[in-house]
Amino acid sequence: MRKIFPAEELARDSRFIRQSNEQRMGDPRGARIAGGNTSGNLAKLTPGLPNGPDRARALMHGIFVGEIQALEGAGRTCWDFELGDEVPLALKLDMARQCWDEARHCEISVSLAEHMGTELGEYAENALLYEAACNPDPVLRLTGVNRALEGLAIDVFNTMKEFGNMAGDPVLEFCEDWMLADEVTHVKMGSDWLRRLTENDKDRLDKALEFQKVVDRLFSFNGFRGEDDDSPIQLTRRFRELAGFTDEEIDEIADMSRDARSEANA
Amino acid sequence: MTDTKRPREPFAPWDRRSLPGLFDVDETAERIGYYKWAEIKLFEALGGWVATVPELDVKLRLGTHCYHHAWHADLFDKRLPELREMQTERLTVPPNDHMVEFFESMTEPEAAHMTIEKLVGVYRVLIPHKIAAYTYHRNGTSEITDMPTIRILDFILQDEFNDWREGEMLIQSMIESPEELERAMSHQTKLEKIMLAAGGIAGPGSIGNPYVEVVEKN
Repeated sequence: MRKIFPAEELARDSRFIRQSNEQRMGDPRGARIAGGNTSGNLAKLTPGLPNGPDRARALMHGIFVGEIQALEGAGRTCWDFELGDEVPLALKLDMARQCWDEARHCEISVSLAEHMGTELGEYAENALLYEAACNPDPVLRLTGVNRALEGLAIDVFNTMKEFGNMAGDPVLEFCEDWMLADEVTHVKMGSDWLRRLTENDKDRLDKALEFQKVVDRLFSFNGFRGEDDDSPIQLTRRFRELAGFTDEEIDEIADMSRDARSEANA
Repeated sequence: MTDTKRPREPFAPWDRRSLPGLFDVDETAERIGYYKWAEIKLFEALGGWVATVPELDVKLRLGTHCYHHAWHADLFDKRLPELREMQTERLTVPPNDHMVEFFESMTEPEAAHMTIEKLVGVYRVLIPHKIAAYTYHRNGTSEITDMPTIRILDFILQDEFNDWREGEMLIQSMIESPEELERAMSHQTKLEKIMLAAGGIAGPGSIGNPYVEVVEKN
């Protein structure tokens, strides 16, 4: 088995449809577009929106395929790097733990998708998340995946938990809260390893934080995730702080989201 | 009122544990180093394979089992310093070159259509050999002096049996034709031959020697 497994070869059964990010964003049923959710017409994801339930269904499918890729990414981190030379055993043990968590998240999200009336493969998948997990530097990989993408997962799960609460859906609210707890743990793993592995390497730290910004920017979706009242996915300060983010770092993500929104409106 | 001065034996009548065991401290540390090495190689492989298997249920089981074996490696790693091995990496080695060859062959299949081979290597060859070696160790070591190892092996064996059962059922569910059966058997034979040369996951003597040496009389 090779080291570094390419995203285009991720193994899927016939139900999965792979699209580029551009194609997926153009899908009129997609989470971002459905309900007129363009950058000029954003709205927080609530059951009261005209297409709120459909948007939530699409988002849940996106969560499911995201969890598969997060599982695959964590698994590859167990395999791709040499013990001792490149990463310590403790890091691989954390990644193996994350594999188990992500496998459970797949089970939870595919069950929730069914609970919400969605079929597997109803929406397309892109491999952006896994691509971030292909970085050949383990520090950059962990920063991009565990801090940027798992950080986004904190925001998404908290938004879906609130959606479940507002919709009177205790199953959705219960499950999202459990997944949220795991995501805080994963982001904290990323924060801890970033600190430990770059303790005496400022250059590597800077590169890792820059890579995190690139990934954060990619997933800011023209202001899709932010702190404004009408941001569909709400940036979650409290849980990000628990996971090792500083106030300044959270401010920066909020600013990035506003900038992305302004750019999209220009 | 209870007579607090009335003497009792240190071992209750039903407690038949005994002091002697098959392994001294150094031998125990050496074996645990071999086990840890194998658990690390296994969890790395399971993690790596997740992206390569298209079957959703298999993908999720591999992700789950990956953690089980990482946890085993961690348990063994923590036991080594208790056996006077402070540089745990020093003993985290394969018992011989055949064991290295075994893992290289086991992890060779990558293509999406080779899930049967991936599962057979782990669940029909490696895990049964691990269960055998761990059981031999668990049953042979001193039940008093080395109880911490027995406790670890008991936890681990519980995982191994559960994972073996799940893996075996996945294999049975995937073999649907004589050709697939042949593939499974052929791969199993290939790996078993290497494991035979290795002598088991802890090398020769992994499960002891059942034969009696007969001294010829003149």
